[in-house]
Amino acid sequence: MARTVQEKQGWIGWLLFRDLWTGLRLTLRYMFSKTITHRYPDHEKWQPYHRHRGHHFMKTNDEGDVNCVGCELCAKICPCDCITVVPYEDEKGNRRPKVFDINLSRCLYCGLCEDACPADAIKLGQEYEVASTTTDALVVHLEDLIAAPRKTEEGAGTVVQASLAKNGSGKTIAHDNAKGHDWWQLIRREK
Amino acid sequence: METLYVILPMLLKIAVVVAVLLLLPLPLTWLERKIAGHIQQRPGPMRVGWHGLLQPVADGIKLLTKEDHIPSDADRLLFKMAPVVALVPPFVVFVAIPIGEPITIFGTEVMLSLSNMNVGLLFILAVSSIGIFGTILAGWASNSKYAVLGSLRAIAQMISYEIPMGFSVIGVVMLSNSMNMMDIVTAQEGMWNVVYQPLGFFVFFVAGLAEVQRIPFDLPEAEGDLGAGYHTEYSGIRFSFFMLSEYLGVVIIGFLNVILFFGGWHGAPPFIAEPVWLLLKVGFFIWVFMWFRFTFPRYRYDQLMAIGWKVLLPLSLANILISGLFVF
Repeated sequence: MARTVQEKQGWIGWLLFRDLWTGLRLTLRYMFSKTITHRYPDHEKWQPYHRHRGHHFMKTNDEGDVNCVGCELCAKICPCDCITVVPYEDEKGNRRPKVFDINLSRCLYCGLCEDACPADAIKLGQEYEVASTTTDALVVHLEDLIAAPRKTEEGAGTVVQASLAKNGSGKTIAHDNAKGHDWWQLIRREK
Repeated sequence: METLYVILPMLLKIAVVVAVLLLLPLPLTWLERKIAGHIQQRPGPMRVGWHGLLQPVADGIKLLTKEDHIPSDADRLLFKMAPVVALVPPFVVFVAIPIGEPITIFGTEVMLSLSNMNVGLLFILAVSSIGIFGTILAGWASNSKYAVLGSLRAIAQMISYEIPMGFSVIGVVMLSNSMNMMDIVTAQEGMWNVVYQPLGFFVFFVAGLAEVQRIPFDLPEAEGDLGAGYHTEYSGIRFSFFMLSEYLGVVIIGFLNVILFFGGWHGAPPFIAEPVWLLLKVGFFIWVFMWFRFTFPRYRYDQLMAIGWKVLLPLSLANILISGLFVF
């Protein structure tokens, strides 16, 4: 809000505390505008966008085998050296990973493994609640990666009704069929 | 038996007043945090109780169970005395504040104030200035530079603003020809004093803000430069005493604004009882103080003194002159 010279020199406005009233009017409007805080983890949860890089997952093919061919390119390109791959030959004669561990406490979620992968196997998903009380639990294995949640376009970027899981896992579970709201639009902005 | 009938209702009233005043900061802290939150587009306390209503109770328990720490170089006697000295004046002020016309219960007339003294206004102003002693003692006894600086600032500020504050109510006294709080309210039956005394109200309001050390005049506790001001070294229950007296100060200024300038309990809609209407007005003023707090920045110290001596004092004198001419 650029001020004109007339406004700056308006001594009547100065006498009547024009600037103070402007400030008060502003905060009053804010006071009666909607709050935009996410009530996480108790009541609400933010759904990340499709492009979000969170907890990894491993894709599987139609036969139920993992896409991974154990080429170890992801382990090579990983800047923090957090992927361990040990390949073996399975009963069908394909090269598959015997061990595929990702140390999430070291991972920086850069997504280079995703880019390097020639078999469209390792992906970074939208799951972001990976906190745990032990560092051992942060090393995820092949079966964890296969079971990890996939990406979804649904409700991306919105805040949905959710509740804290009762089993002490520390995760917040979104309610089924919860309709999300776009919190970004709720922010009150001065024109 | 006769004296019992006189003393018993009085004791009852005292018990009610003390209980209410001791519990009042609980909802006020909640309100303050809620207002702070909503101004910043967040909900404020939400987790303890419905919309965080039990949060002050949790805070209270936390304060009560905290270690009661006394700095090793502090003056122990004064350090222990200061919170109590600070706490007493706000309670004493409420002796003279009426909240409504006398009502009749079981055939006896009951005053809705502890005492209907004929110099009520003078008494209130006098007693509320004693509150400075708590601040002085706390700052001095803490033996800490932050506390001393905070208390020095508080003393200078309270003394400077006491003068325009005292002068600004003289117009009200002129209009009602009395210092009795009941008479002052009765004199406003036709029209509120704020209409006749806009200047007086302005001076009283600003000086009142400064008296209770609210933003924009909260220099004594400027967190940025002083830690916490005169109660920097206090913790636990002793700290909560200071907080209690500060919140009661806000309530007192709210009451005085309403009684002196906004017609006390007059002008109530027919479906609202008079005392409730008075309390609603007071609540409005408390809300305004909190709204100010989260809107304005703090004045610089020389600005504070300049406002007090160069603006408010001449304005209050002009107010006396003008109302004197009109009354004459």
